[in-house]
Amino acid sequence: MNFPARTPVRMMEADDLALVSRAKSGDAEAFRALVVRSQRRVYAVALGIVKDRDLAWDVSQEAFVRVHAHLADFKGESSFSTWVLRIASHLAIDALRKERTSSKEDVDELRDPDLAAAGEGILATGLGNDPQQNLLRRELATHMTQALAQLPEKHRAILVLREVEGLSYEELAERLEIPKGTVMSRLFHARTKMQALLRKYVGVRPAPDDEASAPAERAGTRRRGDS
Amino acid sequence: MNPCLRFAPMIGARPGELPDEDARALAEHLAACSACRARAADGDTLAALLSQALLAEANARDFSTFSDEVLARIPAYRDAAAGRRGTSARPTDGFWAWIRHHRFATAMGTLVPALAAVAIVIYVGRGEGPGPDDVLVQVTAEGSATVLDTSDGPVVLFGEDEPAGT
Repeated sequence: MNFPARTPVRMMEADDLALVSRAKSGDAEAFRALVVRSQRRVYAVALGIVKDRDLAWDVSQEAFVRVHAHLADFKGESSFSTWVLRIASHLAIDALRKERTSSKEDVDELRDPDLAAAGEGILATGLGNDPQQNLLRRELATHMTQALAQLPEKHRAILVLREVEGLSYEELAERLEIPKGTVMSRLFHARTKMQALLRKYVGVRPAPDDEASAPAERAGTRRRGDS
Repeated sequence: MNPCLRFAPMIGARPGELPDEDARALAEHLAACSACRARAADGDTLAALLSQALLAEANARDFSTFSDEVLARIPAYRDAAAGRRGTSARPTDGFWAWIRHHRFATAMGTLVPALAAVAIVIYVGRGEGPGPDDVLVQVTAEGSATVLDTSDGPVVLFGEDEPAGT
């Protein structure tokens, strides 16, 4: 899981296991505590994949209901939150598949214009990746989720599964039922499209043809949030 | 072919996700290509910000009713699951449930031996030797006997040891 952890992970997992043990024996309040501890992370993953808030809410609740039904099967081989997130992302992908139209989706072939569209280094320069600084930037969060919502569902899903749930190429291939090579190219396209959408927010025009001078130009770029 | 086209999809791979040869080639390319280094930096930024952005969206929503709604949904799911499994706990339910789920196998398992038995009866009936027509039921004053007429003479199947008239 790639969410920033506020509580030491091992301590939280130990607490989760204790709650799971109580919930297995029928303690409803223990199960409620488990839900409360991970509900926002589960919702965040579901929202990232399905993009619709109400559907994400429903998928998140369904994930916890399924978890409750299969508590006896939970052996503690992974953390409780990993288990819930896995179920939630499965349900979210299933929800997408049910809603999928028959329209042909764009291909995952890689071409030169795709490289240019990504805008090399624009995000890193324009936004930075300091979590503490950016966490406070509500506007950025809104732009990020809006950009994510504009991606085709297959790109949205793979990006969230990779960057938020933290799945490996192998796990992505298995979860999405696509070859590993397609995982890599689809991830590239998803990132490229996301970066292209965020370029407007950053307010920078890339100069992909001028690679040698690009870093210097980017270093001098004025950040939108600095004004 | 632009070498960046080959390496761009590999950018962002975690240790061990690429074959060693590809990982080495990517590292060499990144060392030489500022554009791909910039792409890698963008990917890192996106990864760092995306989960924060989604969590910020989640934090902006009121979750005060969420756990109550989850707990309220559990009985309905449990009932539905029980309905799928069958609500009775009789020991024979497993057998009948299996029969319901394997209708074709059950039908074939019943039909094939029955057809085989019919085929054997027909085959035996058409073969040489004593057939049904050769079986006689003789009724005498002492009782009845079923007699099979063979080339070795009459054989009493049921009844008196000696058939009538012998």
